[in-house]
Amino acid sequence: MEVTVLIQTADKAFEILEKARNEARELLYSSAKIASETKSLEAKRAEQAFLSGAQHTKLAIRNYTLTFFMLFAFWVLLSGRLDLFHLTLGVLSCLLISYLSYDLLFANVRIGDIRIMFKRFFAAAPWFLSQIFTANLHVAYLALSPKMPIDPSILRFNTKLESDISWVALANSITLTPGTITIDIRDGEFFVHAIDKKVASDLDTGEMEDKIAHVFMEADHIYIQDILDVSRIFGELK
Amino acid sequence: MDNFFLWLGMGLFFLVLLCLYRGVFGPGVLNRVAAISAIGTKTLVILLIMGYIYQRVDMFVDISMVYALLNFLGTITVAKYLEMSGEI
Amino acid sequence: MTRLTDDIIIRAVARIMIPFIQIYALYVIMHGHHSPGGGFQGGVILGASFILYLITHGLEEARARMSELKAGIFSASGLLIYSGIGLLCLILGSNFLDYGRLSLILKVIPAQARSLGILGVEIGVGITVMAVMFSIFFDISTGGIIPEDEEIKEENG
Repeated sequence: MEVTVLIQTADKAFEILEKARNEARELLYSSAKIASETKSLEAKRAEQAFLSGAQHTKLAIRNYTLTFFMLFAFWVLLSGRLDLFHLTLGVLSCLLISYLSYDLLFANVRIGDIRIMFKRFFAAAPWFLSQIFTANLHVAYLALSPKMPIDPSILRFNTKLESDISWVALANSITLTPGTITIDIRDGEFFVHAIDKKVASDLDTGEMEDKIAHVFMEADHIYIQDILDVSRIFGELK
Repeated sequence: MDNFFLWLGMGLFFLVLLCLYRGVFGPGVLNRVAAISAIGTKTLVILLIMGYIYQRVDMFVDISMVYALLNFLGTITVAKYLEMSGEI
Repeated sequence: MTRLTDDIIIRAVARIMIPFIQIYALYVIMHGHHSPGGGFQGGVILGASFILYLITHGLEEARARMSELKAGIFSASGLLIYSGIGLLCLILGSNFLDYGRLSLILKVIPAQARSLGILGVEIGVGITVMAVMFSIFFDISTGGIIPEDEEIKEENG
């Protein structure tokens, strides 16, 4: 009796969650559509208003300053000497390096997103660490057991991710997890070597991909965290 | 605590010897490259442990960073060379 | 080593790493009197960053960023800094590279002048080492063939 009640409540909860999910998806799609429309309008206006070089210069200046501050933070971290002489040296070197390679560090990053990205990254980090820990234990078991029950295979899957930096993040986190190694990426198709059936099935669930997509805010995926964010805004609207 | 780190470094040294076996006798070039890369990674940790034992961690961190960079660069260069020359 | 490959992982990782490697190289050059390092070591790291760029991004992009001409100018200017500081000491009436005499120009005590003079010399050495390392690697990876020569040959033949 109690079990059936429990199942019914769980069903109801899932229904509600599904409804909320659909609503959130529609809302996000419409907002994304509006954003892209306004963006294209803005781009058109920008093209009409400015010479094509002006936008480029603005982008270059933004990249230059961002690179400068990031490098200067790194310099202070390395040097640890806060007197005027060493700080002046640091400013000069950071100016030189950001002149030499201002277009490398922030090649295609949308600037407004970086703060949310950092927040989500630190929120997702414990999950990755726990995943690495359990995979470590599993691979140690495989290596130490005398029968050596390995079953190597190569997985191929197409990813949902879009930008190259999130591809690289996914590939590196797959490689960082023991037992799986990313061999190559060709046009969004991943080639992954897995040592075992268990590791391969862990990878096939796509949980890691979802986490990466959440961290890098890829557009067409909806997650529980997104729904929670949207629901907070809903409450404010009501 | 010093003793603990000393034993840890000795253990890593033993692991380096195992990797060195694979690097010297390992069949094929790829095994050797992987072994050299693994030796580099372990050497980096051994350097940090040495820094702790000599109480000059700030100095040894600098050295180990250069070591990591050159190890990375060397592995990439050899891999690129093998890819371009069509040996694999 | 000379063609543009489609290794997305290596390219992106190198793109992110290179500015930090370069700032680390300058740190090694500038803090040579506090921690291990100095002009030669920092120059090697700086050259390694450009070599990493050449390996990952191909010859053409590397040439756009740091051409043979630029490398030659850099190596010569580093040598100029080094020998200029030495000659300045000679002109001021002491031995070659005897930095103590620089206190006459810099208006500081001789010990500090020695420190500053050594810093300038290290910067010159670092620039030269970087440029020479990069140009050696450049020559090896092109096989000694300069594109202008090829174009001239094609036009003639």
